[in-house]
Amino acid sequence: MQRLALLTALTVLTASTFFNPVLAENKPVVVASKIDTEGALLGNMIVLTLEANGIKTQDKLSLGGTPIVRKALIGGEIDIYPEYTGNGAFMFEAEKDAPDWKDLQQGWNKVKKLDYDANKLVWLPAANANNTYALAVRSDVATPNHLKTMTDFGQWVTGGGNSKLIASQEFVNFAGGLPAFESTYSFKFKPEQMVIVSGGDTANTIKAAADQTNGVNTAMVYGTDGAIEPAGLVVMEDDKNTQVVYAPAPVVREEVLKTYPDMVKVLTPVFESLDAPTLRGLNARIQVEGELAKDVAASYLKDKGFIK
Amino acid sequence: MIRWSSFRLDRVSLLLVLIAGLSVVYAAFVTIKPNRIAKGESKYLVELLDQPSTWVLLGCLVVWAVVHLLSTRVRWRLLSANVALWVLLISIGVIATTFATKPIVRVTPSSAFWLLFGVLSLSITDSWVRLKLKPWYRLVVLGFYLLVGGGVLWSGVLDDLAIMREFYAREAKFWQEALRHLQLTLGALSVALLIGLPLGVWSFQVPALRQIVLQTLSLVQTIPSIALFGLLMAPLGWLAAQSTGAQALGISGIGAAPALVALVIYNLLPIVANTVIGLEGVAPAVRDAAKGMGLTRAQRLWQVDIPLAFPVILTGVRIVLVQGIGLVTVAALIGGGGFGTFVFQGLGQTSTDLVLLGALPIVGLAWVAAVILDALAESLTVTEQAA
Repeated sequence: MQRLALLTALTVLTASTFFNPVLAENKPVVVASKIDTEGALLGNMIVLTLEANGIKTQDKLSLGGTPIVRKALIGGEIDIYPEYTGNGAFMFEAEKDAPDWKDLQQGWNKVKKLDYDANKLVWLPAANANNTYALAVRSDVATPNHLKTMTDFGQWVTGGGNSKLIASQEFVNFAGGLPAFESTYSFKFKPEQMVIVSGGDTANTIKAAADQTNGVNTAMVYGTDGAIEPAGLVVMEDDKNTQVVYAPAPVVREEVLKTYPDMVKVLTPVFESLDAPTLRGLNARIQVEGELAKDVAASYLKDKGFIK
Repeated sequence: MIRWSSFRLDRVSLLLVLIAGLSVVYAAFVTIKPNRIAKGESKYLVELLDQPSTWVLLGCLVVWAVVHLLSTRVRWRLLSANVALWVLLISIGVIATTFATKPIVRVTPSSAFWLLFGVLSLSITDSWVRLKLKPWYRLVVLGFYLLVGGGVLWSGVLDDLAIMREFYAREAKFWQEALRHLQLTLGALSVALLIGLPLGVWSFQVPALRQIVLQTLSLVQTIPSIALFGLLMAPLGWLAAQSTGAQALGISGIGAAPALVALVIYNLLPIVANTVIGLEGVAPAVRDAAKGMGLTRAQRLWQVDIPLAFPVILTGVRIVLVQGIGLVTVAALIGGGGFGTFVFQGLGQTSTDLVLLGALPIVGLAWVAAVILDALAESLTVTEQAA
């Protein structure tokens, strides 16, 4: 019987820790983000900015992958999180081939309208940064061969340039990914010039190019990855705009926005102040130097005078 | 004259000493990275001979090797292995302090360190097993190691290692996630016991039910954990949206609730199956005797069946606990928290040290849980036999 009593006590003890009564009135804004570095950075910026302007928040940052965060927002379990305009092409299957996605402003307009009509979700103004697929080349290869744009890169590879790429399965097969680059800039990778990995984690592709694993010197990256420059890589500019634009913007539930209409006013200047080099720099401080996302977000917002 | 034939050179010790020797010579001991994600420079122990701590470490390792090759006295083996292990830990800390000159520089243990750590731990475990300690003494020994380990961490000698820098950058969060990890594991265990024990007893009494229950639970066990978490999001989210009562209980589609439910589902199979097997193992003669003594059905269950089946049920609890500590890791992907948070953040930042900050405590917890429950199960079996 003693064992049973012990067991019961243990059960009650552990079960009681899950009771977290939430007060209905004065509900804080639940801020979430994806689990990656930039998600944590932008999510913290939203939390700090809202708090500095007297809007109470609840921190659900680094919640999970895109499908989880998106489901949680639509289900009303979270109120706001930063999402990329280009993901609209996947959220709304019917519109996935629309040319609008390849332009920052048009893509934002399109996803704003589609998401509001379908889910009553409001897209606030996006940062002027594009976190889309790009190719980055080791600088000791790019500099002697004068590679700055994808046009340069295409000509170099066609002329027998010794590029070896590491990229995700998805990027290599997805028509809008590598195939779009290859047809626009008229080059073709031979199978032995590619190392294909599963999963779109660019932290690993960048590391492989930096360490020259298996002779890799070109990596699939996202435009605002923090590790690109510290790893000694140079991004090839997509000078003919072949890729869908992924500009980060806060997405908020209309219901919450009605309670706190000031959110638009305070978050817009913060996101408009961000561009790709700035984001790369801030992401690098988190990823390369090991600073906390929250500290980096706070120091940026203070420098720019958004918070005190 | 030395009589070589008198030495019982056991193969295990020879293998351990061989691995230790090879790793000292052929594997890097420590890696120094100019920043968190750079490749870094590997240093072998032989390249670190300008450090006094290297000499102390090598000395301890030689003593350990000689003792293991020449002596079968468990006491000497235990002492030399323990000294070598603690010196190994302290020396990596001292070496880290020498090289971690700037805050951005990261010093991390390399393969030789981990191999030596593993070999010495195996050697220590082997010695303790040979001593055939009583279960309760084993717990005292475990407590001793936790205390000394905690002391080394607390002393600050390891503070310049990369993993400790990751820890100090998020100390409050670490303890918060540790608590959450334990809450999820133990919470799921208790709920699984509340459901699983009656279900097990019932399945034992009704053979037709047994097949269905066990087969269904086995089937559930094959669903990948992340898929199960994802599947639970929709119904739980719906439940939370429908009733404020569910919300007040902390039920929601994301966070701890789906993680807890998924874990309970995984935990049911070992509990139910072991309850059934445990009850099946009770000798019919004992049950007949109880019946003959005029015990009621409930009395027979509580006073005869369950106590006799308890050690087997406890083995089920051990499986659940060790498996659960590992499974909770994935909860971080649906906002459930736990040590998995650091694992997945670390993967996203290619920061091996941050991954380790999540992974090492998980391994440690699973190990501690296994030792405690093994001791518990053994002590109960012994009492049962004595009685």
